Amino acid sequence: MIYLDNNATTRVAPEVLAAMQPYLSDFFGNPSSAHALGREMKRAVENSREHVANLIGAAKPDEIVFTSCGSESDNWAIRGVLATQPNKKHIITTLVEHEAVQNLCRLLEGEGYEVTWLGVDQNGELDLDALRAALRRDTALVSIMLANNETGVLFPIQEVGRIVREESEAVFHVDGVQAVAKIPIDLKNTAVDLFALSGHKLHAPQGIGALYVRQGLSLPSFIVGGGQEQGRRAGTSAVPNIVGLGAACRLALEDNNHERIERLRNRLEDRILKTIPNARLNGIADRAKRLPNTSNISFEYVDGQSILMHLDEAGICVSTGSACHSSTHESSPTLRAMNVPYTAAQGSIRFSLSRYNTDEDVETTLKVLPGIIAKLAAMSPYQDELTAVRR
Amino acid sequence: MLDGLAADHFFNPRNVGDADEPRFTGRAASLLCGAHVRFSIQVDEAQRVSQVKFRAVGCNVLIAAASMLTEQVTGLTTAEAATIGTQAINCGALPYDALLDAIREYSNTARADWPGDEALICTCFFVSERTIEREIETRGLTTVAEVTRACNAGAGCGSCHQLIQEILATNDLPR
Repeated sequence: MIYLDNNATTRVAPEVLAAMQPYLSDFFGNPSSAHALGREMKRAVENSREHVANLIGAAKPDEIVFTSCGSESDNWAIRGVLATQPNKKHIITTLVEHEAVQNLCRLLEGEGYEVTWLGVDQNGELDLDALRAALRRDTALVSIMLANNETGVLFPIQEVGRIVREESEAVFHVDGVQAVAKIPIDLKNTAVDLFALSGHKLHAPQGIGALYVRQGLSLPSFIVGGGQEQGRRAGTSAVPNIVGLGAACRLALEDNNHERIERLRNRLEDRILKTIPNARLNGIADRAKRLPNTSNISFEYVDGQSILMHLDEAGICVSTGSACHSSTHESSPTLRAMNVPYTAAQGSIRFSLSRYNTDEDVETTLKVLPGIIAKLAAMSPYQDELTAVRR
Repeated sequence: MLDGLAADHFFNPRNVGDADEPRFTGRAASLLCGAHVRFSIQVDEAQRVSQVKFRAVGCNVLIAAASMLTEQVTGLTTAEAATIGTQAINCGALPYDALLDAIREYSNTARADWPGDEALICTCFFVSERTIEREIETRGLTTVAEVTRACNAGAGCGSCHQLIQEILATNDLPR
């Protein structure tokens, strides 16, 4: 199997699994217990907290709070900020956020909040002047992602943070789930107040996330109960998963593979765009402004779900932004916000690589893909349009 | 996920392309998912669908359904093809809509070309009064349903059922 769907989830690294294993057997204690076993568990949790803090450049490990997933982190951040500022009823976010942010903000609109939805241009880039214009005295929160999950387009959170800090009193939350371990991140040198991340995107297991909460900022507990995580998030710590996340963060810092992954991605992207006439890139062409592992390509006048199934048959895993990828039958909001034409959005395929991909993976994909696209293009009702793009 | 026969139709779709001229073409599309399917058919003098071809941009369910439908309706009369119905929903139903659209185009064209030298009873499948009378006589038909089965008259919109009933009544002579 060739796995090119790493923005969906990743394989647990062998190093991560090895680090977790003792905590699934002999070290089974509760880190809140006072005995030696409990203290060992506590030590493991705090050790992991340091690794997470190091990877994202937090000033102190205490700024990291473990959660169950990225969505919990986003929900807690947003709901928490709003709860601490009951008189401010304005939120700024973007039209291309992950559902965890987008659907929550839609819900908040129904709860009396006013949301400014910042759009993007056809490259997927944010208009910072629109952000400046949207900031108000009653803006409680600005929530903007670091890297788009579908296109890999990066938002300049350093600059966004500066604008938010200088021109408002709003709290700045960043959904960093798709970016962590893929690009260097140094939060202490930004104006980011809250930052969500998720373990399973960086070779830790599913079911573990974290929220960075800048020192001095206090959020009410999202899950109420015991005093875990310094009273910030109740619920017995998921120690094996926390240890896994810590090990994954350490691995990402010590051996990040960024350049090798980017070289593979570039080879894949370049060849596809060069050899397949109806292929077009979604997201800005400048690779410095995109994640190094992601390539979102539309195959015009053919259907992404059909491409996906054919690749699947060939043992290659990818994602599609086409409407049929989920039960909702709605095409990707990100591609819609970028004004990608209907007939291209329907044929979009996301290739997302990881440290475990090889040259052979890329070459096999490049061998298989053109035939699939040609077969589906030959079936397409859009023969005149396909003839035009072949010229 | 598709399995068995449906999967085979997706990976190896039958009858892809355009029917030979003269052909009649129908389309259906979904505004929800962007799927688009086109059927083209050839109809012989006995009103049988002699060739069916399709083109589609859509998911695996749609393509499998379209491919299976082409095999299902080849050789049927246009009335039989138009009335086989479909249990499919969403994407799976689109090919059938496109086929109906193609049959409609055939019917519209044939109706426009009708020489007009005899009374036309069923305007959907253009069956003349003379044909209906002949069928009733030779086969001893007594109900509208029997007439429809015999010669397609009344298989479409149903507006001619009253007329067929009257023809049946006229022909229902005492023995």
